[in-house]
Amino acid sequence: MKILVALKQVPHQDARLDVNGDGTWIKEDGIKFEINSYDTYALEEALRIKDAGEAEVVVISIGPDRVTQALRTALGMGADRAVHVNDDALVGSDSLGIAKTLAAIGKEESPDLVFMGLMSDDGNASAVPPMVAELMGLTSATGVLKAELSDGNVRVERELEGGALEVVDLPTPALLAVQSGLNQVRYASLKGIMAAKKKPIDVKTAADLGVADAVGSGGAKVKIEKVYQPPKGDGAELLEGSTDEIVTGLVNKIKELGLL
Amino acid sequence: MSTLIVTEIQKGAIREASYELVAFAQKIGGDYASLVIGSGVGDLATAFAGKGGGKTYVADDASLADYNVDGYNAAIQAAVAASGATTILVSNTPSGWDVAPRVAAALDAGFISDVFNHQDGNFVRRVFNGKLDAQVSAGGGTTVVTVQPGAIAPFEGSADGSTEALSVDTSGARAKFVETKVAEAKGVDLSKAEIIVSGGRGVGDPEKFPEVIQPLADALGGAMGASRPVVDAGWLPHEYQVGSSGQVVTPKLYVACGISGAIQHLVGMKGSNFIVAINKDADAPIFEVAQLGVVGDLFEIVPALTAAITAAKG
Ligand SMILES: Cc1cc2nc3c(=O)[nH]c(=O)nc-3n(C[C@H](O)[C@H](O)[C@H](O)COP(=O)(O)OP(=O)(O)OC[C@H]3O[C@@H](n4cnc5c(N)ncnc54)[C@H](O)[C@@H]3O)c2cc1C
Repeated sequence: MKILVALKQVPHQDARLDVNGDGTWIKEDGIKFEINSYDTYALEEALRIKDAGEAEVVVISIGPDRVTQALRTALGMGADRAVHVNDDALVGSDSLGIAKTLAAIGKEESPDLVFMGLMSDDGNASAVPPMVAELMGLTSATGVLKAELSDGNVRVERELEGGALEVVDLPTPALLAVQSGLNQVRYASLKGIMAAKKKPIDVKTAADLGVADAVGSGGAKVKIEKVYQPPKGDGAELLEGSTDEIVTGLVNKIKELGLL
Repeated sequence: MSTLIVTEIQKGAIREASYELVAFAQKIGGDYASLVIGSGVGDLATAFAGKGGGKTYVADDASLADYNVDGYNAAIQAAVAASGATTILVSNTPSGWDVAPRVAAALDAGFISDVFNHQDGNFVRRVFNGKLDAQVSAGGGTTVVTVQPGAIAPFEGSADGSTEALSVDTSGARAKFVETKVAEAKGVDLSKAEIIVSGGRGVGDPEKFPEVIQPLADALGGAMGASRPVVDAGWLPHEYQVGSSGQVVTPKLYVACGISGAIQHLVGMKGSNFIVAINKDADAPIFEVAQLGVVGDLFEIVPALTAAITAAKG
C-alpha cells in the first residue's frame, strides 16, 4: 500500500502578519513557518495506517527552500520519503496550478490513498484536495473525521454542520481531505529526527512535471489583487488602564446587564 | 456574462443560503439561471424559479436523492453546459466545498472560495482565518465561486421563472452515500446557558481550563465553552465546542478568552446578547463582534475578574 500526503508549509499561527510591499500577500521574511495544522492530521492518519500494517508514506510539498524543514519534520514523524517541488516558476500559482502540480506527482506515484488537509491556515481556500482528486481521476471526500479501510474500499465519516456526520463509501484509490481533530498528532521523536536525515527528498521543478504552462502567475486563472486588514467597523469599546481599572469596568458592565 | 446558481436542499427544502446566492448573482449583475439537484424535487424547483431563481434546471434522479460528490459534480457540469454560464455560484457548505473544486478542475476553470462580497469587480474573501481580507479577480474564462453562507441577505421577492429538466448521467458515480448521523445528545447543553465563558487556543494548556476559565464561569454562575482547536487537541470534549461544527449559542453574556474570532467560531456565538473579548492581539477579529473588549493577557485579567466577581457577590 502506498499513501501520499501533500502538505503545505504556512506562516506560524501566531506569526505577525504584515502586508507586503505590493499589497498582494504578507511579508514572509523574518516570520516562523510551520506545517499547516490540517495537514498534520492528514500525515498522522497516514502514519497510523503504516503503523498498523504495510504501507509506504510519501510526503510531497511545493514551496521554496524553507519547505525542506517541513518535509524533514514529516520524515522525522515517520514518513518514508519526500518529494519537494522547489521552483520559482510556481510563485503566483492559483489553486488549480498547485493542484495540477500535485496531480502530476500523484500520477507518477499511483498511490492507493492520498491524504490532505481540509484547508490551509493561510489561504483558507479548501480548493486543492478535490481538484487533485478530479485531475487524478480519484474519488474524494472532504472534512473527513474517520476513515476505515477494508478491501478496495474506504468508509469515511464527513463532518457536516452542527456536529452531524455523513457516512460515505469510496472505492480506492481515493483522496481524503481531513478535518482537524480526527486524531492526536504525534511529535517527531529524537530517533525519528536522526533517521530522517538519511531519508531521501527528491527535488523537482514544474518542467520536470510537465506543468510549466499551468503554474505561476502566467498560468493562474484567478489573481489576488490586494490583501489588507479587514476594515474596522464600530468594534468593541475597549477598556484600558490598570488590571484593577479594567476589572472594575468589566464588573460594572456585568452589573449593568443585570447578571450580578 | 451569465451566472449559474447551484442550490442546495437541506431537510426537504431549498436552504436559505441558496436565496443568498440569488442576491449575490444579482449583485454581480447579468443574467443568471439556477440548478436544483435531487430526487422528486420538481415542486421545489418550480417554487424556487418563482422566488428569484429565474430559469431553473432540474437534475431530478433517484441517484441524486442524497448528496454524492460524483453525481453532483456531473449534474453541475451538465447545467453549466446547458446554461452556458461562465460564473458558477455554490454555497460554501460541507457539500459545496466538497464538490465545487472538482467542478472547477473538470472545467479547467478558475476557483475562488468562501467569498463574502463582490466589490469593484473583485470577489472579497477572508484569509489567515479572518485576520486579513483579500480581493481576488476572475480571469476571462469560467470561474467557480463558493459563497459564505450568511454573508449577504437572501433574496426574498418573487419573479418570473421557469423550469427545465436536465438529464444527468450519474452511472459513473463511485462515491456512495451510506447514512447521515445526527449530532449526539450533549452532556453539556450550552444553548440553555445564560452566561458562557469560552477559552480558545490562546489558553494554551489543558490545565488552564479548570484553573482559569471554569472558575470565572462558576463565579458568574455560567457555563464553560471552547473554540475548536481546544477540542481538537483533546483538552475538552466536543460538547464544549461553540461554532459552525459545534453548538450555536445565544447567551445573555459571552466572554471569549484567547479566541481570535474565525468565522466558524463567530457563527456559533455572534447572536449572544452581549459579548466581551479578552485577547492580547488588538487586531483580532473577535473585537469586531464584541461590544466590550480588553486588549491584554487573559492570565492577568481573567483571574482578577473572577476574584472581583466573587467579592462582589459577597
Ligand atoms: C469546516 C470548519 C469548521 C469549523 N468549526 C469550528 C467551530 O465549530 N468552532 C470553532 O471555534 N472553530 C471552528 N473551526 C476552526 C476555525 O477556523 C479556527 O481555526 C478556530 O476558531 C480558531 O480558534 P481560536 O480562536 O481558539 O485559535 P486562534 O485563531 O489560534 O486564536 C488564538 C487567540 O488567542 C490569543 N491569545 C494567545 N495568548 C493569549 C493570552 N495569553 N491572552 C489573551 N489572548 C491570547 C491570540 O492573540 C489569538 O487571537 C472550523 C474550521 C473549519 C474549516
